[in-house]
Amino acid sequence: MDNVILLENIRKTFRSPMLRIKRTAISDLSLGVRENSIFGLLGPNGAGKTTTLKVILGLVSPDSGTGNVLGKPLGSKSTRARIGFLPEQPYFYGFMTAEKAMMFYGHLAGLDTETIRNRSEKLLSLVGLPIGSHLTLEKYSKGMLQRFGIAQALLNDPDLVIMDEPSSGLDPVGQKEIREIIISLKERGKTVFLSSHQLSEVESVCDSVSIINSGRAVAQGQLDDLLEVKGVSLVTFTGESERAQKVFSPLARKVHTENGKTHVEVDADKVYEIITSGKELGLYLQTVGPFRKTLEDLFMEIVRGQEI
Amino acid sequence: MRNIAFLALNVIADSFRKKIFYVVFLFGLAMLAPSPLLPSFELGLQLEFLRDVSLSLTSLFGAVLAVIVAVAQLPVEIEKKTIYNILSKPVSRLEYYVGKFLGVIATLAIILIVMGIEIILLIYFRLKTFSPIVFEGIFLVFLESCVIAGFCYFLTTFASIPVSVLAAIFFYVLCHVKTGYLYEKLVEDASGALRIIAWSVYYLIPNLENYNVSQQVGYGHGVPFGYVARVFSYALLFTALFIFLGYNVFRRKDL
Ligand SMILES: Nc1ncnc2c1ncn2[C@@H]1O[C@H](COP(=O)(O)OP(=O)(O)OP(=O)(O)O)[C@@H](O)[C@H]1O
Ligand SMILES: [Mg+2]
Repeated sequence: MDNVILLENIRKTFRSPMLRIKRTAISDLSLGVRENSIFGLLGPNGAGKTTTLKVILGLVSPDSGTGNVLGKPLGSKSTRARIGFLPEQPYFYGFMTAEKAMMFYGHLAGLDTETIRNRSEKLLSLVGLPIGSHLTLEKYSKGMLQRFGIAQALLNDPDLVIMDEPSSGLDPVGQKEIREIIISLKERGKTVFLSSHQLSEVESVCDSVSIINSGRAVAQGQLDDLLEVKGVSLVTFTGESERAQKVFSPLARKVHTENGKTHVEVDADKVYEIITSGKELGLYLQTVGPFRKTLEDLFMEIVRGQEI
Repeated sequence: MRNIAFLALNVIADSFRKKIFYVVFLFGLAMLAPSPLLPSFELGLQLEFLRDVSLSLTSLFGAVLAVIVAVAQLPVEIEKKTIYNILSKPVSRLEYYVGKFLGVIATLAIILIVMGIEIILLIYFRLKTFSPIVFEGIFLVFLESCVIAGFCYFLTTFASIPVSVLAAIFFYVLCHVKTGYLYEKLVEDASGALRIIAWSVYYLIPNLENYNVSQQVGYGHGVPFGYVARVFSYALLFTALFIFLGYNVFRRKDL
């Protein structure tokens, strides 16, 4: 599969106009996003996520490095016809109603009035906004604006959807809906590139991620590869025993009991011993599988620069 | 082309929604209405005076509105981040820059046409004469406001709103006093290299006094067509120059 987005050694510094101070927003960032995948860009505040998205869209030009998006160099106008973008803070012309704004953005996207009318009705109801409302966008709540932002990003039926923190400001129902929208985009053959702080959201929708810190990519790859800890298994028993901690500890990496279940993280070669000991303790074996960290563990590990 | 039109129309729609805009606009109209405090003049003089004064006022308001409308574009869109939703669409920076500017120009044209009609109606109701020659003056006021708007719009590609407004006021004053006084002082009195510098500066500053024809219109004979054509090309040249400079800053700007 081809890369829909490819960035190579991108570096971007901002300088304040008055002072001669340079701030490095991204340094030496490389990443590739495969076609028809969901890619998550993660990183702490100020890591350079938004700047990376702006580079991809041609809103800022990198100091050095190259890249291409949908097979064209960075900043190409015709590429943007195939991209949908949801900015970090969705701000629109406050005086327009949702339909008027959809019409305006649709025209700029090169669509004709009839197409815009049809699509905007579908999209507004997809994101749960009222149709035909006289409410202007300046009277929308934060979450409603976010929903509108998502609708306008999908107006041109884009092949690549770029979203800067898609679930920011959304209620739990809205967050679930946006996850469903993202997954359905993938099912329709689209590529989604998103930045997020919602690690559980990323974990549940993304195929690959890149974690950046201080403008550098510190981990990237398929989510499964990143989260799976090689050579470590997780054995789960039903039942609890007061002696579990004492018996398992010499063999296991970590033991914890929760809701009547005992979880044991253990090196793969000691799985049988754990199972035998568990049986002796009167526990019932429930599952044995590869041990996976959560994305949160991985993120903390990387961002704090230490193993947990 | 399509994008330019949509962007320009949006600027017009947006401008006519701003409260500050209406305040200034209505203030301008209100100033025009009672302007002839001239009971004792004979009819011909009244007409001259009325045309002269109302055109001078329009010129001033045209300049003020040019500044207000032009500076309210780029910095506001960048600050409010509405620009991201536009430049992430298949819209080039040139289309954006030119489209918005044409919207500014169109807004000014609409305002000045309304003011022109007001003046003609005012003269008609006071003196029962129809005076379409006013529009010759209005047209030159429009040209002047295009130059001022172009300059402000250029400034806002790198300066903040307050700095741009101050610079615009300075520019306005400089462009109006340059005739006569400045010429004598700088060009004729200077010598050598200084004189060359003074001479270039002199010709690099547009002479906005050329666009003040309220007296000629006041007298009723107006200005010859050749003159209008000349100042028209002059305004076009300067506006295009500012747009060119501004676009070159904006093209590279990080948003
Ligand atoms: N226009 C700008 N001028 C100067 N510095 C900037 C500019 N834009 C971003 N930066 C700096 O670049 C760095 C990265 O910013 P960026 O907005 O990309 O972070 P982010 O990862 O999106 O953070 P967040 O999670 O808070 O959204 C920050 O240090 C920021 O101060
Ligand atoms: Mg950000």
